[in-house]
Amino acid sequence: MTFDPGPDEASEREPSLVPPPRRGQLGRLGEAAIAAISAARDTYGLFVRSLYYTVRGRREPGAVMRQMYEIGNRSLVFVCIVMGFIGMILVYQGGLQTKRVVPDLSQLGATFLEVLVRDLGASICALMLATRVGAGIAAELGSMAVTEQIDALRLCAADPVDYLVKPRFLASVVMVLVLTVVSSTTAYATGMFGAQVFFGINPRTFVNFALIDAVDVATGLTKCIAYGAAIPLISAQAGFAATRGSEGVGTATTHAVVRSSLAVIALDFLISGAFWVAFGDGSQ
Amino acid sequence: MPDLAPTGLAPTGAARRASSPLAAVGRSVASLVGLVGQIALLGRQMLSALRHGQLDRTELVRQLYKMGWQSLPIVAATALFTGGIMVIQAAPIVQRYGAHGLLGWGAGFGTLREIGPLLTALMISGRVGANNTAELGTMAVTEQIDGLRALAIDPFGYLILPRFLAIIVSAFFATVFADALALVGAAYSGSWLLGVEPELFYSGLTSGLLGFSDVAHGLIKSLVFGWLIALSSCHHGISTQGGAPGVGRSVNATVVTSAAAIFGADYLLSFVIR
Repeated sequence: MTFDPGPDEASEREPSLVPPPRRGQLGRLGEAAIAAISAARDTYGLFVRSLYYTVRGRREPGAVMRQMYEIGNRSLVFVCIVMGFIGMILVYQGGLQTKRVVPDLSQLGATFLEVLVRDLGASICALMLATRVGAGIAAELGSMAVTEQIDALRLCAADPVDYLVKPRFLASVVMVLVLTVVSSTTAYATGMFGAQVFFGINPRTFVNFALIDAVDVATGLTKCIAYGAAIPLISAQAGFAATRGSEGVGTATTHAVVRSSLAVIALDFLISGAFWVAFGDGSQ
Repeated sequence: MPDLAPTGLAPTGAARRASSPLAAVGRSVASLVGLVGQIALLGRQMLSALRHGQLDRTELVRQLYKMGWQSLPIVAATALFTGGIMVIQAAPIVQRYGAHGLLGWGAGFGTLREIGPLLTALMISGRVGANNTAELGTMAVTEQIDGLRALAIDPFGYLILPRFLAIIVSAFFATVFADALALVGAAYSGSWLLGVEPELFYSGLTSGLLGFSDVAHGLIKSLVFGWLIALSSCHHGISTQGGAPGVGRSVNATVVTSAAAIFGADYLLSFVIR
């Protein structure tokens, strides 16, 4: 007995008389690879067209502002609370571990700030936004796709990328940057509080910009912009590809969250690696 | 039979239109408390169902395959990248103290205690939790869960408990797998980017600075994370209302609830278990 509504609904909508061909392990692997490549190509297409419409498209500041509110303001509390917790955990765990090796904790604040600016601020914030914003975009565009509203837009000679993707793209690039800065500041503040409470480190000692240099800031900013561009494009691609009713919207949301999170982690690795290879350790 | 779909506290009609900022704060606090209460009730029902042995074992195996085994590729990809990132982030600190032998320790403690369980839980919540909510939600809005009850089949034992257990088991074993792979990824990106031999990396891992307690710390966390993902995913699934758009809303809500719960629990657990 199965309770999965998928097959019934599918056979109702697309009555295929020919059963799908049976595939072996290798065939399924190839199928997955082809699906991944075509999703990547679609996402790249969305990226190019969003950039094109940013320069040449309709001017509609209202739409971008609305998306900025949706992506930025409505995520602010969530992201700040999470990053506040993260700041305290990292200082606590880091301090505990450092004490096993070096007894001197005076560099804890400077090291924490360096790690926050280079990597963790942007990456953890982007992982949060990949779940919240990515799921939202995919659910919204996915419901539009399965109710054929996207096709209706095309019928009216309006490119859905111009109307739907571009505002989200621009808003996300700006707001991921802003949210990263705000939430990293929150994390540093809670970390400072934690250091005072757990290890008795004076805030004056903790706030130490000695280890921050231009390379660290550039790494962090590059990551913010890359994440801000990747999340809405990947989620929009997943949303547009939704088929088969409400179940399809659920699948699209799942794909959006998983692929955006994976993209954030992969971009993090690539950008960190590239900056490391190009500049080495900036502090020496 | 326990009540399956607890009524939501979401205000309707006139209450929703009252828009003073204080009312908005109060409303969001009330709905948050309501959500936590409903999820806690669901957890209690799960425990009592488990104690009475109402569990469909075939369904459990099927869900374990779907949730655990089929998540392995995505967990593996995440873990390998995570290991690389941890090495790159630990590198300047290690070089500053001039101790390449400590790289294994630096990357290892971060991976095992924090980042491994955390990122695995986020991926499981995105892939498994969201998918589970979408399935249960579709069944709820098409009244298939009521249909089960009409056939005198207990929806807890047949439908919800197997998924609940499968999520917890998947999260735990995915974390074991991810920890191991992340350390392998870290060892090889260490030798590629910093010229630290993998042997030196592994000896840094096992030189006594890291103990079994660090591994156990991460694994206990992963059990709690799995429990939270399972609770929030099942709760949002079975209490879905309002047709197809409702399923979308539930999926979104479950992802956000799980992420917030995971980070909150991570914070608390970091202090509770050493």
